[in-house]
Amino acid sequence: MYKLTGVTKLYHKGRRTVPAVRDLDLTISDGEWLAVQGRTGHGKSTLLNLLGGLDQPTEGTIELDGTGLGALREPRLTRLRAESIGFIFQTFNLVPTLSAAENVETALIPLGTGHSGRRRRVAAALDQVGLADRAGHLPAELSGGQQQRVAIARALVKEPKVLLADEPTGNLDTDTRDDIIGLLEQLWRERGLTLVLVTHDSAVARPAQRVAVMMNGRVTIHQATGSTSASGSPWDLHPGNARAPDPLTRSRTDRAGRRA
Amino acid sequence: MFFVTYLRRELRRRMRQAIFIALGLALGVGLVVTVAAASAGVKKAESGVLSALYGVGTDVTVTGAAPGPPKPGSTSKNGQNNQGSWGLQEGPNGQTEICTSNGTCTSAAGKTIDQLMSSYSGISESKVSQAARLPGVTAAAGGIALTDNTTTFSSSGSSSPSSFTVDGVDTGKPLLGPLSSAALTSGHSFTAADAHADVAVVDSGYAKSENLKVGSDLTIDQIKFTIIGIVRQAQATSPPDVYVPLTRAQAMSLYAGSLTGAVTTIYVAAASASGIAVVSKEIARLLPGTTVTTQASLARQVTGSVSSVAKLASDLGRWLAVLVLIAAFAVACLLTMVAVARRVAEFGTLKAIGWRTRRIVAQVLGESAAMGIAGAAGGVGLGFAGAAIISAVAPMLSATVPAPSGGFALAAGQAAGPGLGGGPRGPGTTASHLVAVPLHPSVTSSVIALAVILAVAGGLLAGALGSWRIARLRPADALSRVA
Repeated sequence: MYKLTGVTKLYHKGRRTVPAVRDLDLTISDGEWLAVQGRTGHGKSTLLNLLGGLDQPTEGTIELDGTGLGALREPRLTRLRAESIGFIFQTFNLVPTLSAAENVETALIPLGTGHSGRRRRVAAALDQVGLADRAGHLPAELSGGQQQRVAIARALVKEPKVLLADEPTGNLDTDTRDDIIGLLEQLWRERGLTLVLVTHDSAVARPAQRVAVMMNGRVTIHQATGSTSASGSPWDLHPGNARAPDPLTRSRTDRAGRRA
Repeated sequence: MFFVTYLRRELRRRMRQAIFIALGLALGVGLVVTVAAASAGVKKAESGVLSALYGVGTDVTVTGAAPGPPKPGSTSKNGQNNQGSWGLQEGPNGQTEICTSNGTCTSAAGKTIDQLMSSYSGISESKVSQAARLPGVTAAAGGIALTDNTTTFSSSGSSSPSSFTVDGVDTGKPLLGPLSSAALTSGHSFTAADAHADVAVVDSGYAKSENLKVGSDLTIDQIKFTIIGIVRQAQATSPPDVYVPLTRAQAMSLYAGSLTGAVTTIYVAAASASGIAVVSKEIARLLPGTTVTTQASLARQVTGSVSSVAKLASDLGRWLAVLVLIAAFAVACLLTMVAVARRVAEFGTLKAIGWRTRRIVAQVLGESAAMGIAGAAGGVGLGFAGAAIISAVAPMLSATVPAPSGGFALAAGQAAGPGLGGGPRGPGTTASHLVAVPLHPSVTSSVIALAVILAVAGGLLAGALGSWRIARLRPADALSRVA
């Protein structure tokens, strides 16, 4: 479980100070799917970096299962990421000179797993994402969707507690996007992962249990209603809409409605 | 192994850059190896020249002063009348006449004048044992350097001079003196039992020119010596033609003076290389008026192209090699830093998924070391090639080694005696050995080891700079650049 208390992250650009995250209090339960939405530059990726221990908050504390991440030195943080946190990136971030299997294997190297154990787990991970027959292919020989599947396999092969995904479908077409989100949802349900997914796309956020909307470093949490609308979205507060509105848009119309 | 797989793939991805770095290191290292090989070859040639002068194992050589002119009318040990100084002149009938200093002139036709001359004044033989007892000295041996000059006048009065050099050696101390560096080609060398025997060992060049072999006889000072062995000295030196036991040389009748109970040269072996200078000083104090030389002091007097090449290899060659190596290191560092900069996202991702900094650093260092090893292999190959080219195209070098002042060190085949002014050479004349020295660059195992170390060090230095950058890399920053 994540517990964020009064978390602020400031970036200093010359004489300017840019608040990426402002005074955030947030709890993420074990096994929860939290989507983080917002426009570019409003602190989504910064929040993800803080949750992954890749960055330290300027103020406040972040606890993972009761352990304050700020109190850990870099080697311990690195170990934590190696064992418990999986990352998925928008640009896949595969090592271009390694094959699909070898890229997945990179996640097991820090754990000191033996060669045969690594091979077995890599094969299982690739099989789970449907790429068993592409194990020997280099990233350049794979499509965008296949590369992201390899990245997902890399993130999950070590059986982490937490999966942090930063715009995992940002570089993919609509159909592939849906495939990837479907795969993530399936894996999330099967493994009981805590999944924090950053996206600007409401369709991607739809399966999430909660949505944290970030604007200028501040977060507004939108809870799933527990029931679904006609369109099947837990976020659809406007009956009859075919698509679940962007919570950002919903916020504006809601405010407009009240103004009206 | 994952480490090797990752390393191999990465080097293959930037093959051109890796080859460029390895080639640069190879060039720098190859130049170092070639210069070192050339220097070693020149040093070896110099050493060969010098060691043949007074033998391997001899650290200090002491020679007497130049001998003075003979007193007219004095007799030598065997009762022969000493001819004193003499000269040639044209007689009233146009024939060549030999005139002594007292004015008596006789026709030179049909006469043979044989003069045995010492190269240096005598040093009492007791000084040899005194030198051996000096602190820092392991052994000392005496020797005598003589030249046998023969001039034969035909009936028409024309003369044909010839000479050969004779060295008296201490048969009980085979490891000291000029015979110690000789290689036996036939027969056997002296034993301690030969101390008073009329036996001789001859140089292979002299034996060939005079058609001598083991068992042949050789007459010196009217004494018949039997040749028991033939030796060959180091290439391109001017060794004595004949070696006889020291006591037999001491008993010979000299043109001027006598060497009974005396030696002309003392060969000294020091206990350590670092003690040679001190030993030299002690000997100079023990034997004032003599000339004390070491291999180092003699080496400083070597002139000719061998010393020029030695200087060239040592100064210009060394600095050129250092400059090229620095340039190669700089290029390797620059290219490695560029490669690391290009892989910031990759390293940031690896850090994000749990790779420790030192693991990533090890990967980069491994890549750099691999390029260094390739550079070392190439450099050693280039070094061998460079040495072979020098060996093939380098001209024969020359070395002029001056004898210590006052000496009569005459090159083999050089006639002394009658001619211009007549008589033996006086003091103050500087004689010298002019020897041809082939240059054979040698690539030694220590040079190869140095080359490997330099190249790998160059690669690792480049890797270290890249690793420093990786260590400072924050994953969040690296990943934000990708985004």
